[in-house]
Amino acid sequence: MKAFFSTLYPWLSLLVRRRAAFMVGSLLVLATLLSGLSLLGLSGWFITACALAGLLLAAGQPSTLDIYVPGGGIRFFALARTVARYVERLYNHNMVLTLLADLRYQVFGYLTRLDAASLGRRRASDWLTRLTADIDTLDNLYLRLLIPPLVALVATLLIALFIAIWLPGLALLVAGVLVALWAVLTLGFTAWGFRQSGQQVRDQGTLRNLVLDQLQASAELSSYGTARWHQAKIDALETRSSSNQRRLAFKGAMGNALILLVCGLLLIMALRVGGEALATGRIDAPIVVMILLVVLGSSEILAPLPGAFLKFGASFQSVLRLDRLASSVPVETATNTPLPAGQGGYDVLLENAGYRYPGMLERTLEQVSLKIGAGDRVAVTGISGAGKSTLANLLLGRLIPTQGRVEVAGRMPCDVAFDQRASHFAFLSQQVDLFDGTLADNLRLADPSADDAKLWRALDQVALADWAERQPRGLSTPVGEKGRRLSGGQARRVALARLFLRGPRLVLLDEPFAGVDAETARHLAKSLDRWLQGRTAVYFIHQVDDVSLLPGLTYSYSLDRGRLTAIGSDHAR
Amino acid sequence: MRGDTSNPASTTPRQFLDELARTQRKRLAGAAACGVLAGASTTALLVGLAWLVDQLIVQGQSLRSLSGVFSLLVVLVVLRACMQWGQETLGIEASLRIRQRVRRRLLEQLAALGPLWLTRHQSGALATQVVEHVDALEGYFARFHPQLRIVVVLPLLIACVVGALDYVVVIFLLLAAPLIPFFMALVGMGAERLNREQFGAISRLSAHFVDRVRGMSTLQLFGQTEQARRDVWYATDEYRRLSMKTLRLAFLSSAVLEFFASVAIAVVAMYVGFGLLGYIDYGPASSLTLFSGLAVLLLAPEFFQPLRTLSQHYHDRAAALGAAESLVYLLDQPRKAAGPANTPGTGALFELVDVEIGHDDESVLREVSLVLESGDVVALTGASGSGKSSLLALLAGFMAPRGGECRRCPHVQMAWLDQSPCLLQGSLADNLALADPEAGPEAMREALNQAGLGELLETLPQGLETPLGERGVGLSGGQAQRLALARIYLSAAPLVLLDEPTANLDAETEAFVVEALGRWASAGRTLVIATHHPHVRSIASRHWHCAHQRLEEIAP
Repeated sequence: MKAFFSTLYPWLSLLVRRRAAFMVGSLLVLATLLSGLSLLGLSGWFITACALAGLLLAAGQPSTLDIYVPGGGIRFFALARTVARYVERLYNHNMVLTLLADLRYQVFGYLTRLDAASLGRRRASDWLTRLTADIDTLDNLYLRLLIPPLVALVATLLIALFIAIWLPGLALLVAGVLVALWAVLTLGFTAWGFRQSGQQVRDQGTLRNLVLDQLQASAELSSYGTARWHQAKIDALETRSSSNQRRLAFKGAMGNALILLVCGLLLIMALRVGGEALATGRIDAPIVVMILLVVLGSSEILAPLPGAFLKFGASFQSVLRLDRLASSVPVETATNTPLPAGQGGYDVLLENAGYRYPGMLERTLEQVSLKIGAGDRVAVTGISGAGKSTLANLLLGRLIPTQGRVEVAGRMPCDVAFDQRASHFAFLSQQVDLFDGTLADNLRLADPSADDAKLWRALDQVALADWAERQPRGLSTPVGEKGRRLSGGQARRVALARLFLRGPRLVLLDEPFAGVDAETARHLAKSLDRWLQGRTAVYFIHQVDDVSLLPGLTYSYSLDRGRLTAIGSDHAR
Repeated sequence: MRGDTSNPASTTPRQFLDELARTQRKRLAGAAACGVLAGASTTALLVGLAWLVDQLIVQGQSLRSLSGVFSLLVVLVVLRACMQWGQETLGIEASLRIRQRVRRRLLEQLAALGPLWLTRHQSGALATQVVEHVDALEGYFARFHPQLRIVVVLPLLIACVVGALDYVVVIFLLLAAPLIPFFMALVGMGAERLNREQFGAISRLSAHFVDRVRGMSTLQLFGQTEQARRDVWYATDEYRRLSMKTLRLAFLSSAVLEFFASVAIAVVAMYVGFGLLGYIDYGPASSLTLFSGLAVLLLAPEFFQPLRTLSQHYHDRAAALGAAESLVYLLDQPRKAAGPANTPGTGALFELVDVEIGHDDESVLREVSLVLESGDVVALTGASGSGKSSLLALLAGFMAPRGGECRRCPHVQMAWLDQSPCLLQGSLADNLALADPEAGPEAMREALNQAGLGELLETLPQGLETPLGERGVGLSGGQAQRLALARIYLSAAPLVLLDEPTANLDAETEAFVVEALGRWASAGRTLVIATHHPHVRSIASRHWHCAHQRLEEIAP
């Protein structure tokens, strides 16, 4: 229970951080509810008073009923309810969207500090998509779990106070019953549905994984003839999950029925109490009717609670996931060691360095020792999975070695501050990320202040200038989501052009010539050769097909199953 | 099934939803009936309440003499609660069954579309369709559909009761009635537009967020994370600004309904009040009593209530239509996997006669005629894109020939291995069971031993039950390939199809795979191996080469 609140607390306080807005939003909801109740109550008072006055008039007696004030009140509340509802919805939706921006900003902040191991996880994009949904869930808490119970409680107390003016006994009864019902619907229903609604979210995740399995292992399942076996697994989950959902839905229906039942019985009780008071002459008839109609309308106050609170467990799962993300962000380890100033490439030293990803059985890198002089160029060959990107990420400080030592310019790269690393190290990764924007947007990522001429020069260096000139929108050509409007080879060249816009002193290039024809490869090699003067460079490549593409190579190594062996400098120099 | 109708384009999302609703006709009708009965109970309860008030105040009756009516009201309250419960549970039950049915159909369709179709589609997006989009149908069937029936019956019922009490009020309500479809359309259009625009904007915004998050490594490398973080805030805020414009209009339409319900109370209250005071001397106003006056006052908002409920659930409809569109698209995809085939001559596993293979409009291989005998070990070579994988897919039954005939020996068990072995979410045992669900732990252990994973197994405290994948341990590429080999050892399938089994492997694993191939060959299994590897070719007894859209057998 304590853990529950301590997990929830920071997120909830983030939601109500804009305190004034939260209060205004709640007050608007309250105003809507109270206008509705007042409209109903006043109307009841008015017609009862009219009926009694009518009887007096019919009997020839004078009546002093003022019909203008209540009439005006009725019109006012009719309008007020409509307007308050409209304004409330607008105001609170505006608030929810503002919170969405806040939440995304917050979560994005956590993500920016994740290391390469977390970002490169299997099914990572799936995980990220779910994260987006979790933020939306948390955002929804505001309108479902924060405002309604608060408003319901305040409205209940106001109703009771109002009734207490005439019938304190009834007021106590109404307050007692409605507050108890409120507690059952909020606290009780949270506990009652917590496990099942949490289970529902987990079932959905399991189902998603099983479906992904069916899709990704479809060749195996179909050829081994085990598709039915897998289908049976999904069916079993579906059956279990359906009965869980059914139980949860029954509880939700119980909640709504409970409100109708309790409020209905309360209404009948109020009628009895009112009737008794009337018989003793303690109260005027119009007041009794007004109280009755207010009690009648009170069920509307509680209506949104059961559905929302039954699903608290599901929302809590989202909160837990976001919390896990927040706590998985590595504590700031960088001691902000500065890199040496000046010009020229950095020297690199690895001594028995090794790395094991969390959860992996084997080390991905084992006892790697490597020395690269300042300004040297080396090549590391190896098949995919041999550990090339792990080695690159160790050099970039994006992974911390689990054994041994990694040094760039005499410093542990992971100790160097983020912005220092960003400006002095550069990495053309195997999987290039282009963002949904224009060609220029993607290039300016590397140098926000670059003018068009500089961008064109960079494009020329990667043999894309001609192509870009042929595009009707030139530098403003959209590249599409994940750069899908470009071919794989073009996307990689755009990524390479981004490097050319920077002035790093250590450059790591993973398959710089992948996906381009021989002529383009030669063009790229020439540009690279020129640009790499005075920088330290490591090429990571599958295999060296054409040594002429790697001019100035001082040494080459081969990486196999995480072990680095020197091939020598036979094809270099 | 929609998937194999001859004219798939004929299904619209609405037809699809109607068709699904028909499968749960009884429950949905039951839910609507319960809703109408709950509304009827409410009506009776309110009329009873008005009558009691009149008896107590105007007629001066004592509480004691009215206790029978009080009991009746208690019964009505209980009845109303039960009916409300019934409406919800029946609706949910129908929705659950419909969703289960749709999901099963989708999974069947995906299985029938086969591995080749799947490789050309994003599995993440497809999984979203199977999981989230199917769940998006929930509200439509559980709430909107029954409410659509209720909205037709209940207001009429209430109008009749009101009419019996005072026909002027019912005229007022009925005058508002023609406006209701008009405003409903307005609400509908508002909601639909809201949904379309919001949905579009929110998905663009989510795409923006996911796009930045996905490229986080790149942002980190360029030191642009703070800038991107601010971009995320501004983009979301810009979205807020834009969507508030839409919302201002969209909320108006529901405000109109709200307005009607409020005005109904106000107008009826004024009419009844003045009537009771005797200020109105035409129509039935002179015969108004506190009973009839209070009853029509209470019933006036109830007349609009079903419609208000419907408009609250309108987004369920829009969400369901959106989901239905994507589901219908998937269910309407033509199935291309192979159907039943003729049997080849004796001893042969496959006999291809003048077969043409291709994707869409492009043929990859033509005039392929060959016989694959049991025990053959075939090396299949050719440049990438020359049709090796397509031929394997044809043999595996993942695709049907575009022309000619592919005769296959029925019920031949097959094993499959490609360059990216699939790991299931689950234990080591689950991953092996994929090849043979019946296999016991001993057989699994033996298979792992043969695949060279015996040592690894000993180091795992949970043994075969060790979870793999996201929540469990990770395997390196070489280990994953060995696990795939263990599947083949376990399955004992006489026919093994392998697509580049040695690609992307470290030297040690590669040698191990080649050795395994030799062992299977000498155990008499039939192997067809698409490969570049010279060692693999040396094991083979036959050699097929693909080039220029032809398949040629090269003598050993």
